[in-house]
Amino acid sequence: MIDNPKTGMSLIVKTVTRLTVGLILLFGIYIVLHGHLSPGGGFAGGVIIALSFVHLMLAFGKDVAVSKISKNLASNLESVGALMFLSIALIGYLGGSFFMNVLEKGKHFKLFSAGTILLSNVAISLKVGVGLFAIFLALVILERSSKEK
Amino acid sequence: MTLYLLCLILFCVGLYGVLRKRNIVKMIIGLGIIEYSMNLFFVLLGYRNQGRAPIEAQAQDILNMVDPLPQALVLTSIVIGLGITALVISIAIRIYDKYGTFDITKIKKLRG
Repeated sequence: MIDNPKTGMSLIVKTVTRLTVGLILLFGIYIVLHGHLSPGGGFAGGVIIALSFVHLMLAFGKDVAVSKISKNLASNLESVGALMFLSIALIGYLGGSFFMNVLEKGKHFKLFSAGTILLSNVAISLKVGVGLFAIFLALVILERSSKEK
Repeated sequence: MTLYLLCLILFCVGLYGVLRKRNIVKMIIGLGIIEYSMNLFFVLLGYRNQGRAPIEAQAQDILNMVDPLPQALVLTSIVIGLGITALVISIAIRIYDKYGTFDITKIKKLRG
C-alpha cells in the first residue's frame, strides 16, 4: 500500500516523508515530556504529534494513515485522553482538593519532578493530537464522499 | 503606539477580506488574519521593554520578564481559532458539495 505509485504525491515527497516522519513524532514526544521544564507542553506537543500523522496522510494518501490509526481508534483514544485528565483531577481529592498535586515533587529542573503535571501533559497531548488528526480525517472523508456523488 | 496601529492595519486587511471578497476560501483566510491580528495585539500589550520570556530556567535571575497572562490567554484563543477554522471549512465543503461553486454571488442563482 505504501509503494503504490498511484496514490499520494511524487517519489521525492514520499522518500523525504519516510525519513522525517519518525523524527517529527519523536520531537513531539520530547516536547510533551519536557512540558513542565521548557516552553511547550501538552497542547504544542500534541499538535506536533498530530502533524506527523497528517504529513503521512498528505504524502501517501488517506489509506496509509488510516491503517496506523483508524477512525474508531482515534475517537476512542480522544475519549481516553479526556477521562485521564478528569481522573488526574479527581485523584487530587486524596490530598484534599480538586487538582491537588498529591504525587512526589522531586528535585527542581529534573525530568520526573512536578508530580501530576507530567501526567496531565500526557493526557492533554493524547486528547489534542488524536483530536486534531480526527478533524483532518473527517475533512478528507467529507471531500471524498462529495466527489463520489 | 506604532505597533498597535500596525495591528489595527492588519485587522483591517482581514476585515477587507471577509467583507469584500466573493470566494469563500478567501473569506476564511481573512477570518484567520483577523484572529492572528488580535492575538498579536494581546501579546504586545503584555510586552515590556527589553523583557525576556516568562520561563524559569536554571542559573538565571528572575527579573524583567514580560507579562505571562496574555500569553496564556492567546494560547487558549489559538485553540478556539482552530475549532472555528475547522467548522467554517467543513461548512464551505458542504456548500461546494451542494452548489458546485465557492462564489457567494452564484450560490443563490443555481438552486434557490
